[in-house]
Amino acid sequence: MTRSQEAAPVSSRSGAWRFDAGDGVVAFLMILPAAILFGLFYLWPFVNGFWLSLHNWDGFSDPTWAGISNYKRLVHDRIFLGALRNNLIFVVTVVILKNVLGLGLALLLNRALLGRTFFRAAAFIPVTMSFVAVGLLWSWIYNPVFGLLNSGLDLVGLGALKQSWLGDADIALYSIIVVDVWKWLGFHAVIYLAGLQTIPSELYESAKMDGAGPLQRFRHVTVPMMMPIVFINTILGLSGAFVRNFDIVYVLTKGGPNHATEVVLTYMMSKAFQDGAMSYAAAIGYVLFLIVGLASVGLLALMRRQRLDV
Amino acid sequence: MRAAANPPISLDDGAAGHRRRGLMQRLGMRGILELAGIYAALVLVLFETLYPLLWVLFGSLKTKQEMLSNVWGPPSSLVLQNYADAWRIAGMGSRIVNSVFVTGSALIILVAVATPCAYAVARLRFPGRGLVVAVAVAAMLVPPQVMAIPLFLVARDLGLINNRLGIAFIYAATSLPLSVFILRSFFVTLPADLEDAARVDGASRLEILIHIMLPLVRPGVALILIFGFIEIWNDFFLAFLLLRDPSVQTIPLGLVSFFQQYDSLWSLYFAALTITTLPVIVVFVAMQRQFIAGLTAGAVKG
Repeated sequence: MTRSQEAAPVSSRSGAWRFDAGDGVVAFLMILPAAILFGLFYLWPFVNGFWLSLHNWDGFSDPTWAGISNYKRLVHDRIFLGALRNNLIFVVTVVILKNVLGLGLALLLNRALLGRTFFRAAAFIPVTMSFVAVGLLWSWIYNPVFGLLNSGLDLVGLGALKQSWLGDADIALYSIIVVDVWKWLGFHAVIYLAGLQTIPSELYESAKMDGAGPLQRFRHVTVPMMMPIVFINTILGLSGAFVRNFDIVYVLTKGGPNHATEVVLTYMMSKAFQDGAMSYAAAIGYVLFLIVGLASVGLLALMRRQRLDV
Repeated sequence: MRAAANPPISLDDGAAGHRRRGLMQRLGMRGILELAGIYAALVLVLFETLYPLLWVLFGSLKTKQEMLSNVWGPPSSLVLQNYADAWRIAGMGSRIVNSVFVTGSALIILVAVATPCAYAVARLRFPGRGLVVAVAVAAMLVPPQVMAIPLFLVARDLGLINNRLGIAFIYAATSLPLSVFILRSFFVTLPADLEDAARVDGASRLEILIHIMLPLVRPGVALILIFGFIEIWNDFFLAFLLLRDPSVQTIPLGLVSFFQQYDSLWSLYFAALTITTLPVIVVFVAMQRQFIAGLTAGAVKG
């Protein structure tokens, strides 16, 4: 399928490509494979999902028109609302913890002159592990029989603090949050560290000459200079926390006990594949898309208003 | 990466020979204590990160009884049989083959499809160019997880359920927007003169792309390969959605089903996790600079 179309005169002025018919055809052919792949497995499901959410369908028989009744049902679905609440708690807590602890770790690494590369690499190891591996690992750490955590509490004489970390509906969600933060901490710390290293040291020196103490220097130099990085870490953490919690929740609790750790994706999957409510599940997916989209767009708009083009 | 010596301690003096004395003099007692505190905190972080992993390695070598009686410590003897048993019972061999096949195919498809698209968007002028970029950016805001149900239905209609090559195409599609976006930013920076010269010599666009431009954007290709590898090799969600038959399942699925299928084969679970996790960690440690730079690139532009 080689199209030799080299008759077109060549504009040799660098940078400025004059538009010629050949370019359009070549561009079309070069984009075509990507367009097919994208259209088939991205655009079409996206559009079809919306269509589906406006119907009632079990995945096999003929779909019937349902209007917005799926969405109406969602508003009154207590399990869904609980899942949404858990999801929001998860997102907010995880994003705050990743930012605070990530910045803290980065500040430590920025000061440690010996072995920085080593510590950085070590903190990054969980990032390269799969959610499944991390989830299984932590399900054993939390295990009441041979788990590292409870037996560790015994070891240091704090046996009274032993918990059923994943079995107690009041704390299970937070136990899962700890796992997600553990996995991603190194990632956010490395981004913060890279950001810290772009702050010119003259800023600190002049602040020091003006008599600013360490805390003031942190507040008036580090924090303002790091705002773009805070935004980046927030947006990375945010989009991840909304939609990348299925694996961890599924492996650790499957949404239990009694939906205490149910998140939107686990509920969507159980609706689709246990109850066969394909169109209802599609509506759940769409609501999640709207929430993620609004959160990202809102954050980007905020970023632009703060003139933090990144 | 520039190591900006961060006040209040600046240690970037060249006097390596007198380092210790220099340290004492420059920091004073308070500075030394501060540094000790920093290292103590770092060791704590190191411990909470690495000890759980070491614990899995320990546990994989213990007998089941010892796992319960000696939770924290190293194994008293090495039960290597755990590995052989885990390998056999969990069917690790075929899972590893599946993971390699799926990830490898997906990455080949991804690079083959994303590169010409990114090149066209970056270097050619044609109507609708802006639209392609806008679609790629918009798609990055739509995580594939939210359309799992319609994606499942499309795959079912095309007969791609339980199809390893099918899921490879779907993985490539989900990684496509970000990859095009990244590669485009690499192509944009290349000087036009190179291309002009090649065109004068009569080279076609495809030849220019393959022989001249592609070697120059190798770092960009490496970047999308690293991203794609971590994402696809570790994925559970889409595999769970699309690979139902045990014979086509990838490593993450295999681990979960092994864990759920057999009750309390604890030391074998630990061995299975070690087998699947250790190689990736070793590869990471060997290439950690590229990995870290790759995974955080773009997030921070100097």
